[in-house]
This record gives sequence, structure tokens and C-alpha cells, in this order.
Amino acid sequence: MLPVVLVAVLAIFPIIGTPRVWLLYLFLFFVYLTMANMWNLLAGYSGLTFLGPGALIGLAGYTLVIVTWNDLPFYLGIIGGGIVAAAFAALIAVPTFRMRGIYFAIGTLVVPEALRYVFYLWKPVGGEMQGGGAGYMIKGIGGLSLTEFYWLALAIGIVSIFLMRIILRSKLGLGLAAIHDSDRAAASSGVDVFRLKLYAFVIAAFVTGAAGAIFYIYQGYIAPVSAFNIRWLMICLLATVIGGIGTEEGPIVGTIIVVFLHFLLARYGALSLLIQGVILVVIMLLVPEGIVGLVRRKTRNYQSLLQLATRR
Amino acid sequence: MTVEVLAGLSRPIIMGVLLGGLYALIALGLSIVFGVMKLINVAHGDLMIFGAYFAYALMTTWGIDPILSLTMGIPLWFGLGFAIQKYVMSRAFGISMEAPLIIAFGISLILQSLTQIIWSPYSRGLEAPYALGGISLGITSVPKTYLLSFIAALVVMLVLREFLRRSYLGKAIVAASQDKRGAELVGINTGRVYAFAFAIAMATAAIAGVFFGLTFPFTPTSGVGFLVIAFGVIIIGGLGSMLGTFIGGIVLGLTQTLSGYFLGAAAQMLFVYLIVFVVLAVRPQGMFGR
Repeated sequence: MLPVVLVAVLAIFPIIGTPRVWLLYLFLFFVYLTMANMWNLLAGYSGLTFLGPGALIGLAGYTLVIVTWNDLPFYLGIIGGGIVAAAFAALIAVPTFRMRGIYFAIGTLVVPEALRYVFYLWKPVGGEMQGGGAGYMIKGIGGLSLTEFYWLALAIGIVSIFLMRIILRSKLGLGLAAIHDSDRAAASSGVDVFRLKLYAFVIAAFVTGAAGAIFYIYQGYIAPVSAFNIRWLMICLLATVIGGIGTEEGPIVGTIIVVFLHFLLARYGALSLLIQGVILVVIMLLVPEGIVGLVRRKTRNYQSLLQLATRR
Repeated sequence: MTVEVLAGLSRPIIMGVLLGGLYALIALGLSIVFGVMKLINVAHGDLMIFGAYFAYALMTTWGIDPILSLTMGIPLWFGLGFAIQKYVMSRAFGISMEAPLIIAFGISLILQSLTQIIWSPYSRGLEAPYALGGISLGITSVPKTYLLSFIAALVVMLVLREFLRRSYLGKAIVAASQDKRGAELVGINTGRVYAFAFAIAMATAAIAGVFFGLTFPFTPTSGVGFLVIAFGVIIIGGLGSMLGTFIGGIVLGLTQTLSGYFLGAAAQMLFVYLIVFVVLAVRPQGMFGR
């Protein structure tokens, strides 16, 4: 019951005159939460330390450009962005899944770097003056306001949370858990490692791409440098690690902290990054299981203490 | 006709080889850390850029020559590397597979924002009177900075190679990289060896930073792109071999200048990344690896 009430309250926020700044930060929260959730599905549950979320987000953003410049409605751009990101993930899955562990991480770090140069060169729409390093404006979103952006972000955020719940409780989730612990043991007990990883990768890519497209609808502008940027990875990584990698609630807690930090330190660009970097290192060293993991451990200790006490 | 083509090609080839030297210089430190600890130090590029800024600060405040400033930069970076490995990374290795990678990422983030706070995000460059202009190399003239970087890379590579082969510490580093348990069994303190390996890698990053800064203008975020290039260099060159890293650098440098020559300047980096990706997918152990 509580989640329904919470969603209902969040949904009516724009109508009841919530300040724009709040809506903006909530918008960012839901977009980042979606990306962090999907990154957690890959890095926390599937053993895929994927360092290239920028590739998916950038591709989805450019798909949105192509769709809206061809006078198609923006929501097709969101779906199209998801589909293109998912197709791209399926495409790079074949070569990258051959790379193990750290090689996979670096292989996927190269991808957005390479794509950035593709979009410097390739001008899918518009004339000579647009595109390339200068980037594109997103067309056909003139009638939309922050309220609509907010609802889109809220929707995808909730979808991502439910998707995680469903996947982790399905056969796919079970197989992924086995792969995460040991892919060889999983393979020898009949788990189709490649296929399950591929499913997780494609699903995560679709949702990340859709969230990326929603972000660019709000941003209204896309350029190669900011689209295929390592910043996306930092958001996913920070939110997941601070909250607790490999826990379902982790990205939610982590994203709250990341967005709060953005809010708190919005005026100090570089200092904000510095603090985030320090937090990342400190959390990883002192509480590698993240806030959620820590709380879980503490309450477990507390509960077992309680049990001991009551038994006597 | 063919003579003209060859004469036209001679410039990108010479430039590619020299540029490859700079790439190898950046990659040598990464190669040591990767070979010994199996860690991709994603902060390597940023540590290099931090070195370039350090030399820049000495150059602008006291007018110290960038190459001369390495007499301060190398020991400082050596100590910094030792401390990072001893107090941060060594703990990270005990936590999980991803922990060192994530922590290196955090260090990269810290360094980028720190350089941005101290020196602003604007593009900077290092200057030295002897590095200005070009020098004629028979058929074509090349910027002096390219030649200097190539010579520096060659020297650093040969010194490291001999160090790893002949000195006790060098042999211990090689032993620890081949078999950690085995090295411990014969009485090597692998924790110390790791710290020294990281420190040496950082010292080469300081050197690379200065020569990079002499060759190209740099910003606080320049490190990331060159990290990927440096990683490509060690993947092509194969793990642990200093000579292989050097050859890998030249292969990538040639890839860049030749694709720039044939396909235009904008396409050259795309081609470099494509080559890195293909080699990773097909032969992750490297072209010269076993």
C-alpha cells in the first residue's frame, strides 16, 4: 500500500505547485535512478562491469534527434532510443563477452570514446551547419513543460524498480546470480551463460537508452562531448556503490545521495566532483557493501542479538 | 608517381613512429601496474596530466625548465605512487574484484577536479626554448617535441627493461607478476614489491606528463582519452614486456597518422579506438603475448 501512496504523491507534485527546482531535482533523481538500477543489474548481479553507459545514452539521444528531426513524435524517440541502445548492446555483446573480467571493463570503456568520434563525423540529419562537434537541438518538444518531463522520468524510474524486482525473482535472475558467483560453475550446471548475460545486457540497454532519451528531451540539446561522456558512468557508479552494489535498494539510496550532492554543491562544479570522488574511495574502502549493505548487516546483528536475548 | 606517393607517405610514417614513442611512454607505467597487479589503473592518465600541471606550475612560478623540473617531479610521483599503493590500493585488493578498479576511478575523479580547481579548466601547455620549432630528419621536418618524446620513451623503456632484468627489486617485481604465491614462498615481500611497482609506474607517469605537455596542449580531463590509448598500446604490445609496449605504441601511432593521411584528420582517432577494440575482442592477450 505504501508504495502506491508514495507514487501517487510523487505524481501529483507538479500539479500542486511544487517549486520548479524541486521538480527538476526529482526529474534528475528518477533518470539517474533508472540508469543506476540498470547498471546495478549488470555490475552487481550479472558480473558485467560495464564502463560504457555513455554509449547507450548517447546513442539514444541521437536516435531522439533523428526521430524528431523527421517530424515524428518525441515518444517514438524514447522508444526508438531504447531499441537502438538495445540493438547496439546486442551487437557489441558478441565481441565484448569474449573479454573476461577486467578486459570486458576496458573494452566497454573504449566504446563511448569511439562513438564520440563517429558522431563528430557523421551528420545523420540537417545540413552542413548542424551536427558534428556543434551538436543538435531536439525538435518537436516545444509544447512540453517540466511537468511532462517529470512524469516521463517518474514513469521510467518506477518501471526500472519493478523491472529489477521481476528480473531478480525470475529464472533469469537465478541464472544471473549463479553467473555472478562463478560463471564456470554456472555453465557446467547447465546455465547458458552467454544467453543470460545477453538478456540482462539488452534489457538494461533498452531501459538505460529510454532514460537517456528522456534526459535529452529535457535538455533539448545534444553534442558528442557531453553525450558520450564518462560522466554517465560516474553517476551510475557513484549511486550504485554508495548505496550498495548488488542490493536492490542500493541504487535508490545512492541516487538520493548523489542528487542531493548535486543540489548542495551545484555552485561549485569541480569541488562537487572532488567530494564525490572522495566519497567513492572512502565508501569503497570502509564500507564496500554500501549503505544498504551496512544497514542490513547491522540490523541482522541487532536481530540476532534480540533473538538471543528473548530466547533466554 | 610511386616516388611521389612514397615521399608523401614518409611524413605520416615518421610522425607516426615518433608519436608512437610518446604513446609508449604514457603506456609504460600502465603496463607495469597491469602486469604486476592485474589492475587497470584508470587514474594513470590523470596522474600523468597532474604531472604535466605540476611542471607547468614550476615553469610559470619560478621559470624552471619542464624537463629539469622532473628532478622534483619524479621523486614526488614516486612517493605518491608508493603511498597510494600502500595505504589505498593494497586494502582494495582484499575487498573484491571490482574494488581496485572503482577506487582507481575515484582517484581519477579526485585528480581531475583537483587540477580543475587549482589550474582552471582552460587549456595549458609546457614550453622550453630548445623544444620550439621543427627539425629536419632527411626527407621531412618534424616538430622537435615529437623527437624529444620519442628519445625519452626509448630511454625510459631501456632503463626499465634493464632494471627488471638485472636488479634484485626488478627481478622480484617480475617474479611477483608471474606467480604471487610462488614469489612469497621464496621470501619476496609482495606487498612491498607492489608498492615499488606502483611507485615506479607513477614516476614514469611524471616523465610522460612533461613530454606530453611539451607536445600537446592539455586540460584537466585530457587524461581519459590517453588512458584508452595507453591501454590500447599495452593490449597490442602484450602484457609485461617493455619492448612489446614500445612496439605497441609505434603500431598505434602509425595507425593514427596513416588513417589521418588516408581518411582525414577527423577519422584518425576513431580508427585508433576501433583497432584497440578489435584487438581486445580477438586477441586480448596481445599481438605479441603468448
